[in-house]
Amino acid sequence: MTTTTTPGVTGVTASEAQPDVAEATRASRPVAPVRARRRKPRVLANTIAVVFCLVWVFPIYWMVNTAFKPADEVTTLTPIWFPLRPTLENFTRALTQDGFLVYLRNSAIVVVAAVLLSIVVGFLASAALSRFRFRGRRAILVGILFVQMIPSGALLIPLFLSFQSLGLLNSYIGLILAYVASVLPFSIWVMRGFFVAVPVEIEEAAKVDGAGTVRILWSVLFPLVMPGVIATSVFAFIAAWNDYLTAYVMLKDQGMYTLPVWLAGFSTDKGTDFGGLMAASVLFSVPVVVFFLIVQRRLVSGMTAGAVKG
Amino acid sequence: MTSTAERVPGPVQTGPGTRRRRAVTTSRAPLVLLAPAALLLLALVVYPLVRLLVISFQDYGLRAIFTGQAGFAGFTNYTNVLTDASFWPVILRTVLVTGAMVLGTIGIGMAVSQLLTRLGVVMRTVVSVVLVLAWAMPNVASSLVWQWLFQPFYGVLNWLITQLGVFGDHTQDNWASSPGQALTIVLSLVIWQAVPFVALTLYAAQSQIAPEYYEAGSLDGASAWAMYRAITLPALVPTLLLVTILSVIWDFNVFNQIWLLTKGGPEDTTLTLGIWTFVKSFVSNAYGQGAAIAVISTVILGALTSYYIRRLVRSGEEDL
Repeated sequence: MTTTTTPGVTGVTASEAQPDVAEATRASRPVAPVRARRRKPRVLANTIAVVFCLVWVFPIYWMVNTAFKPADEVTTLTPIWFPLRPTLENFTRALTQDGFLVYLRNSAIVVVAAVLLSIVVGFLASAALSRFRFRGRRAILVGILFVQMIPSGALLIPLFLSFQSLGLLNSYIGLILAYVASVLPFSIWVMRGFFVAVPVEIEEAAKVDGAGTVRILWSVLFPLVMPGVIATSVFAFIAAWNDYLTAYVMLKDQGMYTLPVWLAGFSTDKGTDFGGLMAASVLFSVPVVVFFLIVQRRLVSGMTAGAVKG
Repeated sequence: MTSTAERVPGPVQTGPGTRRRRAVTTSRAPLVLLAPAALLLLALVVYPLVRLLVISFQDYGLRAIFTGQAGFAGFTNYTNVLTDASFWPVILRTVLVTGAMVLGTIGIGMAVSQLLTRLGVVMRTVVSVVLVLAWAMPNVASSLVWQWLFQPFYGVLNWLITQLGVFGDHTQDNWASSPGQALTIVLSLVIWQAVPFVALTLYAAQSQIAPEYYEAGSLDGASAWAMYRAITLPALVPTLLLVTILSVIWDFNVFNQIWLLTKGGPEDTTLTLGIWTFVKSFVSNAYGQGAAIAVISTVILGALTSYYIRRLVRSGEEDL
């Protein structure tokens, strides 16, 4: 995992990647006191960093730790800090449980469909909103921004009631549409940010060469914003994959449950099977964490682009 | 704020030195590109929002669900909500809890960002990885982990707190059902998960500050704290504003963590607007009142973040 993240994480800090070189040159200069003063804080900073890491990683460590423990090591009055007899039985119990695969399939179908629909439609819209000027464009942008601020429960009430009368509750289509409602505005906004970063001149050059709108969009712009589109897709995927509230409200039939709904019900169903619960949490979190590590850095820049400047 | 007049839609200003803008297009291309998204958003966002407003003025309960007809109720839902004994406590609690989450997140986030600038490459990478891990955890999973950490008898944190010897025996505490403690676990969970975004975003901004400023500062014998205040903070202001407003929006809307840990209890000590909306609509089936609360929440959040929206609208204007 560490190796996967390293490029992303150090990418942020690339400008400072050689502090030792910098320090060496500084030390060779006659300002020795500065160097001496820097030394002590480094020890202090490292100590604080270690403490911070221990505190912040502890919940995750404890989740993984518990997931690998046999039942009698999970519930002990004095905590056991490392699985004495590591086992996969919690994972097999979670996986072979009534319908884990069904919930996984439900999640996959709904999330993939919602993300595909949002990204394709959102890509076209964000192209229109960034590469053309037309009347009402600004109003649409403000609207899209405003929508993202609305409490999730606010949209859920009317959607629930409409889907109730349309017979879309408890169905893939209903949940997909509900996810599109929350993912699409976000996708348009973020992808527009990536479009804006492409200089107008590139497009004009293509136009001079005789390319039409479709051609420019597909052959010129799409390859350039592709990384942004992928990052946005992954984030949309994570948002929909993690959703609990909407699925909890819309799905009544257990056979339709998505993973978060199943996971949240796990503790109430199984009492104190914390080994199984933590194993299930690990299984549910792993895809998200992996995807997240891949796009994390691009996403920070995508979300803050256009928002900080000005 | 002062620029309201300037923002009245009109000819796009092309001041001196601004980059090239293109003329308003007459082609139908943008309309075609927008059409699918517009249709979806009209059906799935605009129409539901209008309907939300309508429902908030209707007598919409279980009966309306079955008959499909809801009578006009005037302001009844709003007066019911406003005179509900829970109303003011919920509003106050939501604002205070949001404030505490945001303050905690921004405070720790600033400290961690500063810490990152003081570390060597290895330690900085370690801290970054830890941050990203905490950030990436789905909040349903982290809520369950929190349940387990604070479990009575077997919860490891109860044991640790007891071992500290300062607070007495806490091994049997049931945090989620004790009015004084429920909020603590909710706050700690939300802040734990929210700090990484703030810390990494601030750090990205901090690493953009030219090192020459600090070199000049240290040549003048400025203390680290003085340099932080005179150089770092002013450079961070735009980013700080952004992450603060985003945190306000996110923390105001926190649902999963509270619902999964405490369901708004015990004795309503964690009942926020989001939870209240949910309970009124989907537990008590009083959709009209739920809608009224949702409308009120949206207005409050809009007021809290109007500064940010204005700013973004203005920057969007300059952007293209």
